[in-house]
Amino acid sequence: MKARRRIAVAASAATAAALLSACSTGSTSSSGSTSGTDASAAPVSTTLGAATNGVPAAITAAGGTTLLTTPKPDGVEAQYGPICKGSDLGIGKIDFTKDTIGWAQSEKEANPFRIASTKSQVDTAKAKGWHLLTTNAQSNVQQENSDIKGMIDKGAKAIIFSPINSTGLGDAIAYAKSKHVAMVPVDRNITGVQGCKDVGPQLGSDFVQQGRRAADAMITATGGTAKLAILLGASGVNVTDDRTAGFLDELKAKNATGISVIFQQTADFTREKGKSVTETMLRAHPDVTAIYAENDEMGLGALAALDDAGKSGTSKVHIVSIDGTKGAVQAIVDGNFDAVIESNPAFGPAAEAALDAYVNGDGAPAVTITTDNQYDKSNAAEALSSGKAY
Amino acid sequence: MTTLTATFKDRSAVAAWTREHGVYIALALLIVYNAIATPNFLKLDTVQLLFSQVPPVIIVALGMALVIGTGGVDLSVGSIMAIASAVLAKFVVGGTPIGLAMLYAVIAGLLVGVFNGLVVAFARVQPIVATLGVLVAGRGIALVITGGALVELFVPIFKDIRLGKFLGVPYVMIVAALLAAGVAFLVRRTAFGYRLLAIGGNRRASVLAGLPVRRTLIFVYAISGTLAAVAGVIATARLRASDPSYIGLLMELSAITAVVVGGTPLNGGRVRILGTVTGAILLQLLESTLVSHNAPDSVARMVEALIIIAAVYVQRPSRSSR
Repeated sequence: MKARRRIAVAASAATAAALLSACSTGSTSSSGSTSGTDASAAPVSTTLGAATNGVPAAITAAGGTTLLTTPKPDGVEAQYGPICKGSDLGIGKIDFTKDTIGWAQSEKEANPFRIASTKSQVDTAKAKGWHLLTTNAQSNVQQENSDIKGMIDKGAKAIIFSPINSTGLGDAIAYAKSKHVAMVPVDRNITGVQGCKDVGPQLGSDFVQQGRRAADAMITATGGTAKLAILLGASGVNVTDDRTAGFLDELKAKNATGISVIFQQTADFTREKGKSVTETMLRAHPDVTAIYAENDEMGLGALAALDDAGKSGTSKVHIVSIDGTKGAVQAIVDGNFDAVIESNPAFGPAAEAALDAYVNGDGAPAVTITTDNQYDKSNAAEALSSGKAY
Repeated sequence: MTTLTATFKDRSAVAAWTREHGVYIALALLIVYNAIATPNFLKLDTVQLLFSQVPPVIIVALGMALVIGTGGVDLSVGSIMAIASAVLAKFVVGGTPIGLAMLYAVIAGLLVGVFNGLVVAFARVQPIVATLGVLVAGRGIALVITGGALVELFVPIFKDIRLGKFLGVPYVMIVAALLAAGVAFLVRRTAFGYRLLAIGGNRRASVLAGLPVRRTLIFVYAISGTLAAVAGVIATARLRASDPSYIGLLMELSAITAVVVGGTPLNGGRVRILGTVTGAILLQLLESTLVSHNAPDSVARMVEALIIIAAVYVQRPSRSSR
């Protein structure tokens, strides 16, 4: 589908403008995907960095400098200092019963992850009785910049937001700083910032680690021998690069030479692309024995394609994906997926606690990494019945 | 090429010939390339896959060809696919028999098409603007209908639509071929077809000649909407789910490309059906080729852009032929 789209963009071209836009999309994405491939090829350690003082480079980029050894709250994997205080940026105390808070979602609430992510924020706000404004940037970074600024103009004292990408929101961040509005990024971290100097406490998942765990699960599932296809996420997004780099790096680290990557192609994080790309891949590489999908939706698309080809079931083709949605966890129960690495979308309570501590309390750590679950045959059924899978 | 040049008197004739036949040559070249370079390409299985993936594009492009033939353009087709898919999901989940649900989905597309036609015919709004409005609003409507999320649909007949074959040809391809034949008949053999082309050639003159211009336009957009809805139903069956955020996304541009690459001029007055079908197949095969060869996203985009630029270049009106 996507290829066709791209073509079409160019062709609508009867106008030069459209042609130009096609070219610019091409080049942007090439830089994105190249960096992903390069990182995966050799100096992955620099991307992840066992770097300074046991702080990974990704955390350093997000402004974390020291690993905190203080007791961690539930659901937290690691916390990194310095401790951020709103008063450092001249942010006043917030009265949650009166003041307005903003929630900026990055992508359409169309897939389970985004639905759960927004629901978690809205539910928390409701429970606490906040006045919550919400926006959705529909995957457009400029839109997210203006959404955030718009909510600030409407009087929001704090913005909790899910960045579309780790960079590109500088405009909104600078505006918030000038208006002394607290900024709490969740899910994807804002990078290229100094701890506490630009944004408030960051709450995120470690996407590189998710990729590593997916690789471990893949090695276990396949016994270390497989002809593997990778369905990459959208090009030029750091989640895609991180999940690819972590996965490939871990295969190397575990010396899993029996797993050869025979195919890598973007499927845009969507089920439709996951299906059509897998269909085509199955014709050119009928010998594929395992698929790593960088999100559940693409994995389920791949499963639909395998099903049509009479190849569904982990005895024929292994599938490991990342997200932890109901559909994928159900697929484990049905014997079609081997494992699903969770990317926890429910940042609501943690964001609320961090924001409160940041503006009204003793401060919150610059970077918090939340704990992600992992599902396989042993706990999938339980995850569904308990509602842990979203 | 030398023999060809010899056959024609001058360069504009060569240009005209390329314009007429370029898409067939391009498809033939791409097939030859795949036969040599793509593993398993010459297997029945691979051809069947192509013929099961391409019908939605063909079907949408057929309607688009008619609209472009009137000198207009229909940007709403992708959103109409999403609406049809959402309506289908809504009724299936609500317990409506599948046949009826599919009918309602197609009727929804027909209604949106009629709306487009009314706006273009009576409000005299530029087609690109009128249908752009529906492009934006339509997907929103589709999202509202399903509540925003992807809805999985386990309907037995979808499996037949996806995988069913007659004499080795997927049902959906047969449907696309029949629709193409129907549209070709409409254009070539009916008064409606002549009117449509007359309007595309010169709307003012058509009005002055007393042709029912408005009625014809409404019909044309209604056909385009209906065909888009059929494509939406097929796409839903293929995915065995209704995903209103993505089904048909940017399909309008794929369809326009198929039509233009197939040799139909964007300014109306002529429609080439076989060229449109071939254009759609060319685009689909190009996409599969790039995927099969594991082309990195960045390279794939550049290759595609180059091919399109070439097609658009060939299609440009030459001074002598206009």
